Amino acid sequence: MNKVWIAIFTVILILAGSAYMAFYYHQSGSVILEFHARVGDKSLEFGQPLYPNPGGKGRFSIRAFQVYLSDIHLVGSKQDYQVSDSYHLARFDNETRRYRIELSDVPYDEYSDVMISIGVDEEANSSLMPRGDLDPNGRMAWSWEVGYKFLLFEGGLEQENSRLPLVYHVGFSENLKKQRFNLPKTITPGSAPIHFDVDVLALFDSHQSIDMATLPSVKFDRNDASLLAENYANLLSLSVKESHNPVEN
Amino acid sequence: MALLPQQTGQMIASVDCELMSMPKVAIIISGFAVLLLAVAIIVLQPTGPQTRPLLSFSAPFVFGHFNIPADNPLTAEGVKLGRRLFYDPLLSANNRVSCATCHLQQLAFTDGKAHSVGVSGIPLPFNSMSLANTLWGPQHFFWNGRAQSLEEQALMPIQDPNEMAQDMNELIDKLRADEVYVRLFGAAYGEISAKNIGRAIASFERTLISANSKYDQFLRGELKLNTQEERGRKLFMAHPDAKASLRGGNCIDCHSQFLTSGFNTQFDGFTNNGLEAEETLEPGLEALTGLAADRGKFKVPSLRNIALTAPYMHDGRFSSLEQVLDHYNGGIKLSSTLSPLIFEANNQQNDSTLSLNLNKEEKQALIAFLHTLTDNTFINDKRFSDPFSKQVQHNE
Repeated sequence: MNKVWIAIFTVILILAGSAYMAFYYHQSGSVILEFHARVGDKSLEFGQPLYPNPGGKGRFSIRAFQVYLSDIHLVGSKQDYQVSDSYHLARFDNETRRYRIELSDVPYDEYSDVMISIGVDEEANSSLMPRGDLDPNGRMAWSWEVGYKFLLFEGGLEQENSRLPLVYHVGFSENLKKQRFNLPKTITPGSAPIHFDVDVLALFDSHQSIDMATLPSVKFDRNDASLLAENYANLLSLSVKESHNPVEN
Repeated sequence: MALLPQQTGQMIASVDCELMSMPKVAIIISGFAVLLLAVAIIVLQPTGPQTRPLLSFSAPFVFGHFNIPADNPLTAEGVKLGRRLFYDPLLSANNRVSCATCHLQQLAFTDGKAHSVGVSGIPLPFNSMSLANTLWGPQHFFWNGRAQSLEEQALMPIQDPNEMAQDMNELIDKLRADEVYVRLFGAAYGEISAKNIGRAIASFERTLISANSKYDQFLRGELKLNTQEERGRKLFMAHPDAKASLRGGNCIDCHSQFLTSGFNTQFDGFTNNGLEAEETLEPGLEALTGLAADRGKFKVPSLRNIALTAPYMHDGRFSSLEQVLDHYNGGIKLSSTLSPLIFEANNQQNDSTLSLNLNKEEKQALIAFLHTLTDNTFINDKRFSDPFSKQVQHNE
């Protein structure tokens, strides 16, 4: 009889232990990053000339806006968590004007900083390997001899009686911009999403204000590309707002 | 799945060995477990036909990812059935028009006409599109993107009054009366239904991979392009930037570098390439999305085998590649939805005309490159040919 009790007792202990491990021990889990697009203090709308030309006359419209966010790291108290194949093509032509990245199976830690690069690292930029959202046959690819566009903005500038096409395709390895965001309080896997603002206007109006009429397109001119890259280094910021409904016009 | 019972048998045997030293209760419990497992295997066994995965299927690395719908895996049986359906005029109301009537293998599955003609004899508004490499590029089919899968697409021409004009219920009756089809559908999908007709034709279409053109051989490092072709390739791959002294043909802005098709993300593979001014813009993609910003946008086709697929554009308005190049080189018409990439592209600085301003040699070089996309292996591949042809049957 004793043996039976010992067996039952052991089983109960093992079950209780497992339950503790399952529910109370620090678990890995997911971390969600949410990116909310706006244009200065206005909401992002496509195909309408709503936004004043930062450095000159006229108003501009946006037909397409896409950007590679890559090499995402979470800086923790014990470790750095590096997301594998971290190449995320952010686009906002959806109803919520939001782009969401869910990092799953992030090991438990208290993470204080998020690191995100805008662009594609040199090694991946010169490779044909389709990793993450990198696609050599995609809209963001130039030819394999040139690499990827890191950021794509296409639209138009409406001035008094004229319409000017706007094409900003910015790439080249030197224009990779690494950003570090110190979180107001640490997060652990399973915490609420981390919200970022994506201010499209920063591309034309941050480090330098750009007159779209004098610079309506940027592609392969290295100086122009680097000018826009200095600006898009200010594209992302940690969101301070509590609510995340699209801003009103 | 056929191997499962055998595998289970081996597993049971080994489990029994390990249980030898345990008390009787444990043996009884594990006996129940094994019984339960056996019942589960019998109950969960799919009831559909036993099909074989398609072994001959391969695609170049540079074509990248593709998706085959989970509910229509590529099987040898499905593809065989799809090929027969594709070439069978039984699928039309008058039993004289098949899919292959407008999609001829020798023309890379186009028909050489500006406007295809079906059962009604009334020319269709659109040009027959090549079926090469449909696994890649925009996964919205037809020139205006109105079909959201190849399965859906395949059933539409069959029932269109001007194409094959075939009532679907009647077609199912015709197929059920044909013992070859009863056998082929039985082997591939179990039953004859509209859904399975779509699945089979889509499966066959997915196997139509063109990947052995001169350009492919160049990409594999097997040969060099000649000087003119190489110049054309470089122009194809470049958006012109007069400021950076880079001359370009601007093709790659819409036609991806390896596939030469439109982009597969959302509707990025649809564009307005300046065929019409605002007043005469056709709806195009707007017919599907209802968005004014999509008016005049059409699907960017793959340029694979483009030298074989004249006439060009969704309405077949250009009869030669020279005319196509002339369009991009001075024939562009301005409208509100014109692609800014075409609007802006100009090889000449401070020039406000809507033209690429390519010179004669550059145009010829681009055309020479476009000819390297012709794939003779593809247009002569027996696996894609008419299974009703006697010559082919001998070769099988």
